[in-house]
Amino acid sequence: MAHKLTTCTFCGVGCGVYLEAVGNQIVGAYPSMSHPANEGRICLRGWHVHEVASSPDRLKRPLLKKGGQFQEVSWEEALGFIAGRMKEIRARHGAEAFAFLNSPRCSNEEAYLLQKLARAVVGTNNVDHGTGVYCNNSINVLLDMLGVPATTNSIGELARSEVIVVDGVDLARQLPTIGGVVIRAKLAGAKLVVIDSRRHRVAESADLFLQLKPGTEPTLYGAMAKVIVDHGLMNQPFIKAHCRGYEQFLARVRDYDLLASAEACGVAAELIEAAALAYARAHSAAILYSTGIEALDAEPVQAIVNLALLAGQIGREGAGIFALTEHNNLQGVCDMGMLPDRLPGYRNVGSEAARAELGKVWQAELPAAPGLASRSIFSDRGAGRVRAVWLCRYDPVSSAFFGDAANALDQCELVVAQHLFLTETARHAHVVLPTTAFGEERVTFTNTERRIQLAEQIIEPLPGTTPAWQQLTRVARDLGADWRYESAADVMDEIGRVVPFYSGANYPNLAAEYGRQWPCSKDRPLGTRYLFAEGLPEQGFKFAPIARRPQAAVASAEYPLTLVFGHSLYYWNQSVLIKHSETLKREYRILLLDYPEGFVEMNPADAKQAGIRDGEKVRLSAAGGSAVINARVTPEVRSGTVYVPYFVRQVQQQVCGSAESGVQLIPARVAKELA
Amino acid sequence: MKARLLERADVLKLVDLLRQQGYEVFAPFAGRGRDTWFDLVTDENRDRIQVHLPNPYYPPKRFVLPHIERLLKVRQHDGTIQVEPTYRERKRAIFGIRSCDLSGIWHLDRFYLGREFRDLYYQKRRENVLLINVVCTDPERDVNDECFCVCADTGPAARDHFDLQLMDLGGEFMSVAGTPAGEAFFAQPMFKPATPAHVEKRRVILEEVRKRFKTTTSWFAATVRYVSQGGILEKTWEEIGNRCLECGGCTYVCPACTCFTVSDRQVGPNEIERVRIWDACALSGFTRMAGGFNPRRAVHDRRNRRFMRKLAHYFIQRELTMACVGCGRCAAVCHGDVGMPSVVEMIRRATAATDKIPPS
Amino acid sequence: MSQAITSPTSVNGAAENIYLPKLAVLDRVSDDIPEVKTFYWHFEDPAEQAKFKRFRPGQFAQVSLFGVGEFPASLPPSPTEDETFFTIRTVGSCTAALHQLKPGDRFAVRGPYGNGFSMEDYYGKNLVFVAGGIGLIPLRSCIVYALKHRDKYQRIQIFYGAKTPRELMYVPNLREWQKSAGVECYLTVDRAAEGWDGNVGVVGSLFKRPGVRVPVDNTIAFVCGPPIMFRFVIKDLLAMGFREKDIVSTLERYMKCGVGKCGHCCIGVAYVCVDGPVFTYEQIKKLGEDI
Repeated sequence: MAHKLTTCTFCGVGCGVYLEAVGNQIVGAYPSMSHPANEGRICLRGWHVHEVASSPDRLKRPLLKKGGQFQEVSWEEALGFIAGRMKEIRARHGAEAFAFLNSPRCSNEEAYLLQKLARAVVGTNNVDHGTGVYCNNSINVLLDMLGVPATTNSIGELARSEVIVVDGVDLARQLPTIGGVVIRAKLAGAKLVVIDSRRHRVAESADLFLQLKPGTEPTLYGAMAKVIVDHGLMNQPFIKAHCRGYEQFLARVRDYDLLASAEACGVAAELIEAAALAYARAHSAAILYSTGIEALDAEPVQAIVNLALLAGQIGREGAGIFALTEHNNLQGVCDMGMLPDRLPGYRNVGSEAARAELGKVWQAELPAAPGLASRSIFSDRGAGRVRAVWLCRYDPVSSAFFGDAANALDQCELVVAQHLFLTETARHAHVVLPTTAFGEERVTFTNTERRIQLAEQIIEPLPGTTPAWQQLTRVARDLGADWRYESAADVMDEIGRVVPFYSGANYPNLAAEYGRQWPCSKDRPLGTRYLFAEGLPEQGFKFAPIARRPQAAVASAEYPLTLVFGHSLYYWNQSVLIKHSETLKREYRILLLDYPEGFVEMNPADAKQAGIRDGEKVRLSAAGGSAVINARVTPEVRSGTVYVPYFVRQVQQQVCGSAESGVQLIPARVAKELA
Repeated sequence: MKARLLERADVLKLVDLLRQQGYEVFAPFAGRGRDTWFDLVTDENRDRIQVHLPNPYYPPKRFVLPHIERLLKVRQHDGTIQVEPTYRERKRAIFGIRSCDLSGIWHLDRFYLGREFRDLYYQKRRENVLLINVVCTDPERDVNDECFCVCADTGPAARDHFDLQLMDLGGEFMSVAGTPAGEAFFAQPMFKPATPAHVEKRRVILEEVRKRFKTTTSWFAATVRYVSQGGILEKTWEEIGNRCLECGGCTYVCPACTCFTVSDRQVGPNEIERVRIWDACALSGFTRMAGGFNPRRAVHDRRNRRFMRKLAHYFIQRELTMACVGCGRCAAVCHGDVGMPSVVEMIRRATAATDKIPPS
Repeated sequence: MSQAITSPTSVNGAAENIYLPKLAVLDRVSDDIPEVKTFYWHFEDPAEQAKFKRFRPGQFAQVSLFGVGEFPASLPPSPTEDETFFTIRTVGSCTAALHQLKPGDRFAVRGPYGNGFSMEDYYGKNLVFVAGGIGLIPLRSCIVYALKHRDKYQRIQIFYGAKTPRELMYVPNLREWQKSAGVECYLTVDRAAEGWDGNVGVVGSLFKRPGVRVPVDNTIAFVCGPPIMFRFVIKDLLAMGFREKDIVSTLERYMKCGVGKCGHCCIGVAYVCVDGPVFTYEQIKKLGEDI
């Protein structure tokens, strides 16, 4: 029996988990009591993290489509085929015909090599990760306003925050361990402010619950900023010393009116005022929001950062901004440059200096034009330009709610899929490469608090599978690049040479304790618990003035409800990993079994008024069309709002008339559908 | 009392002896910080065995009721079916099991071997397990903040349910046998007779250790009464439910939790295995029936169920043991601080106010 | 080892694996109502078959479809009948797998489990059976048993209703019982259809039909059906004067082991698989949890 500490690879908390192995099987999982991120707690997914690897559905051999059917082939044949086709396509259509997309669950090593393959070997910046369509807003805003695109503090510090604001993220479902930290902080005396249009589990423990109308965050934050300014609670010394753009920001804030904003948001003015005062007066206050699955548009993120700068709640223990990443390595894949406009380390692809520096290390000339994002690729293949797509552990046919991935892939000349299972997406591929699973390789992931951690190898890989990063290396070599990596540790060493804030994160250093939080450089080998601890940058922060929006009339008599579409709250219900664990499958499948054709969520009061009971068929109508769907009556949903999860595609198409979506707000009505 | 003494240096020799006798020995090891676990003793790790350390959170119940256990191997071909039960019968010794966990195994014994049916899988594992208890004597190292065995009357020194018990007296270890199997070890020369002075030393140490638990009031009594009489306010359960994040952790780490689910999995082209896996009544799918009816759909109904099973007088009477051993693991792994100690406190506070039963 | 635990049922000392199902062969299948079929089967081993045939009305068995799973099935035959069969509606993956089987196919069964109805305790009493929809399945066993021991009981009344005439279960038996002199059999449907000239209304409406007199003293009422029907029928029976301990029913829960170990079927203080599935209404009220 072996008990090895590793990192759970489900969500962005990256809990410390011990895996117990007997022979070559992982037979148990339990939490690490001393890990700084979770301190002895893990969620339901973590308790079953060991079940996925042993699923009998694991692919064991490369698959090559011949005559429309998959056939098992050797690695030589599969990789040879890939390299051959890639050369052909590049010769005929150029580098821009390629796109390289991965899942935010890929390891740092895989992500790094995938974008290196794209940029240094093929010559394109068409590189993106699965949640790029939402997450990149946060990256751009944080880089612009703070200079760092990540959570500024550590999870453990929330125990020392006087005020915790949770905006628009259902912690209990997405990052349960952080949900627990927040609940326990509240029990210990912290003031918990929850801002969300849904009444989720953690909201039940809130001291102040601002259940706002969907899409009104900028207005709410604008009002909060106004309250802080009116009470003279802004942190003048902080603003003066460290922030630019305050005057323009202040000018816009003066346009906000507390009462008008309260009306627009649907939140009592006293609550907004109380939340703002608590936040500004706290010695240390933290704001948590989501960058991934439930991500906000750019404006709300700007508003959040504005608030933090206004109150000077950055750069102290327990005071900061938590740009939460729901996927285990969303932070890492972005750090590694799986972004169409940014290189590893976030430098712009347009920067000649950055390209030259990186090009020297990679011994290649790098493309300057920003690439296509995943959304564009799955809508129309970048106006038809893209003919070859490489998907690393990514299953957009199941999980992307924009575009039509299946259709886009079917029109490609080459689709390469790397995964554990024959996913829905893999079925559309020309070549499928089976990869090693969690516990079968030693690689790194970066959690939401910038902690670069090792996930250990506990057992031998399933015979026939190889690590994804190794497959990328072999293809690169087949394409003529001189890549030499003996182990994943070698890849991390190169990452350290290319990404300054990873420069100290070699494997021995990471293994010494519970990983390292970046910046982890050669002169800061122990990592950084919270950013700006040594000092805030002089004028390094920037305010973003946000004009007060006139209140758009969303609801009308004909369409009195606001329909929220495509919010991927129920992401985990569709995840391929969940489907391969007995208990997780049972728990996550309930929603899908109870409402097999999808559902529209309604508040009980609204449902009662319409004479609708849970499970009944209703007609959901909007200006663009209507659809018939089952009702799920739940007190979680705000009265006046109805919500359809992202995977109920046909409803989206019928009601909106298009397959496009995002966090859209559509005026709608719901009526009982008689048989 | 048939007490013996064991030199400090001989304690690990006992482990060696067990291995020589053909036992797979599991002993406690320490990792980083407070991470500890029971692992198989090998030549390589034998010297790293720790006697005094925080009780490992992965509960030793898994040695008699594994996290995943194969029940049947089924082969189907040519229209015939071969069904083969698979048992595990290798001898094992759990060295260093704590007194609270012994009570947990005792509870599992009564549940799986008593009652209407006897579970043969459990029986075969149990018959082949030797329990070597180590008494918690070191308040700094052995006792966690969450421990409350003194309230559940299961520790710090078990009175029964062990084969052999070892207790650190400072200079040497006192050893007591609980079964003939345990007593057989006393024939070994490393065990010397104890004196009344040693027995007195034991008593003093235990008295001291008991004082070092954070809470020593026996607050179960009132809570058992409230739960048994169905007197707990619905809003108390709702409050508890609001803090529960439905992770299942409390059940998985509990030494006295017994529930499991059964599942068939494909393991070969014509081969299936039927396994049982730990399950938790905290989860929504635990009671959901095919077709959709779920009697415990709401999370607070499930929390209600858990604490009724743990605390209601009916169940205590049914198994003659309480399904809580005071180990504190549930408190340690809970996100929302609704482990047993917190819930008991919440129930007492909320219900005492409405308690109209006059003292008799 | 600590002092050995003795179990009241392992008196003979034989080590029995309670989770081991025995192989069974499907003899034939008959269609009942939409989504419901009756499966006639027997154990491969005649000794197992003989042992099993000593089941009591109201007991159930665990049916294994290897590779899919196991599920509990009521036993609708009376132990006095020759054939063993299940009547199963397809609701989930296991029942769906059973519905795919053809005669000659093999599956596995273990049982019988549960307490069953104490039909001997009711000798000398009037028996009133009230069933709704597929609730007739477990009660059929008691009815056939009672009719086989007709001289042991006083009056026997059957009140049975379904949503539509097409959804009435066990129609051949119903015809038999309606014709039989020793039984009062009243039928009803919620919604009439072409060709139905019987009562229209919920089961409870049968109690009020002219000429229907339901005995209350020295009577046991068996109730089985969907939750709403159950609630209303109980109300009616209590209003008529039935004592709570003279109303019996059979409860259903998600089950995995059937032998009181896995914990899924627990309601309050009872395990449905060993303390039930048959409970009196008095017991149901005292379970400590809503059903």
